[in-house]
Amino acid sequence: MTKKQRYRILITVVMILTFALSQNVSAMHIMEGYLPGGFCIAWGVLCLPFLWMGFRSIRKALNENRRLLPLLAMSGAFIFVISSLKIPSVTGSCSHMTGTGLGALLFGPGAVSILGLIVLLFQAILLAHGGLTTLGANVFSMAVAGPFVSYGVYRLCQKGGVNKRLAVFLAAALGDVFTYCVTAFQLAFAHHSDVSIGRAFAKFLAVFAPTQIPLAVIEGILTVLIIAALETYAKPELRAAGFIKEDR
Amino acid sequence: MITIDRLCYNSKLRYINAGEKFAFAVLALCACVISRSAVVSCFVLAVMGILSVWKGGIPFSCYLRYLSVPLIFLLLSSLAIVVNVSRTPLDLFAVSIGGFYITGSRASLVYASELMLTALSSVSCLYFLSFHTPVPDILNVLRRLHCPKLILELMLLIYRFIFVLFEAAHSIRVSQNSRLGNRNYKTSVKSFSAMASALFIRAMKKSDALYNAMEARCYNGDIRVLNENFPPRRREIVWICIFEAVLYGFVIIEKL
Repeated sequence: MTKKQRYRILITVVMILTFALSQNVSAMHIMEGYLPGGFCIAWGVLCLPFLWMGFRSIRKALNENRRLLPLLAMSGAFIFVISSLKIPSVTGSCSHMTGTGLGALLFGPGAVSILGLIVLLFQAILLAHGGLTTLGANVFSMAVAGPFVSYGVYRLCQKGGVNKRLAVFLAAALGDVFTYCVTAFQLAFAHHSDVSIGRAFAKFLAVFAPTQIPLAVIEGILTVLIIAALETYAKPELRAAGFIKEDR
Repeated sequence: MITIDRLCYNSKLRYINAGEKFAFAVLALCACVISRSAVVSCFVLAVMGILSVWKGGIPFSCYLRYLSVPLIFLLLSSLAIVVNVSRTPLDLFAVSIGGFYITGSRASLVYASELMLTALSSVSCLYFLSFHTPVPDILNVLRRLHCPKLILELMLLIYRFIFVLFEAAHSIRVSQNSRLGNRNYKTSVKSFSAMASALFIRAMKKSDALYNAMEARCYNGDIRVLNENFPPRRREIVWICIFEAVLYGFVIIEKL
């Protein structure tokens, strides 16, 4: 083979892998059994303070007002359903939202950490996305890191006086991107056989970029549209959801 | 709507004590993750596959289709492990581009294939649990394991609401489709967001109505439901113990 031929073959293989295989692109759940035992436990432990915080805040809010329980449960189910519905995507493959960015904006990051834990458990059991041993790592990337970044970005934009729609877009998209970075880091940290962690991180980022970057943009746009629609039609419901936020 | 949910209510292993199934699957899962060896993985994969398809009555094609759900993740991340970009070629393959090589080593290929086997076998353990145990039974097991009551209550309600919201989303989708709501990309983005916001409003309304209904039925802070109880059978426990003993024997031999 000449150099040119090899180059062409390589390009073709890469194209096939990125386009033909990306039939079912979901948010990046680390699959069952992909992380070694130690890492599973470590990520789980790292989540505990956030979960404890979320648990405390929810319990406190519930002790003051029992009416919030079905509301919280509905919010969890809403996140689950939103994240398992097919969203329109450019390549015609079938992709899903994370939904946690929207959740963090609507219900606050503390509540979303607990709801995210439950949603991820159900996704593992009912949809085979993610897994039981990797639950800790997935909770950290999707229910803790992503929502906190989303919420932080949104708050910062509000303080900086940025246009509200832009703020929502940035919050959702950056939350998604951050989730994807954290997941790539988790993978690189556990599996770097013959290179340094930094190199492995770059490789994992590069491999998942073609599916995750467009997804983040689409999720941002959809979140803006959803929030806009809610502000037009559902002021009282938004206030009820925000109620959880104020109660914490 | 959710295929796994339907499968597990029809499974032949459904009426076996949930604790047994839970212990069986979780212990096997731990063995896979701890050992990370090809032998243990193949053994677990075979046993779980045979049990699910033959004893549990899950259609074989369906089982295969579910095993291939995480395939993309598996392929992409294995690609990231095997393929390297560096100035020096490694021993498995090397394609040169300019001054660099796209290259991979034998060791990393072995590592990646072992990882794939481990992941697949652990997925089969997860499927054994989720294909044969309905969610309420799993919640019961978690209750025995002293999971906080608040979380269990939330899980029970969320599980119920998922189907309510799915139904609403489905009917909205149907009516959008019949009005050419997904005609092109722009309209489909618009209809998706319209559906999501309608869903949110509906979820809020429903939760309010549900609370009123619960209050009317003397809800005072905890939800009590009758549990179906299937006592564990000695024969099954013995078999599970034998299997786990053999499995952990393998693990110890591999680790030594």
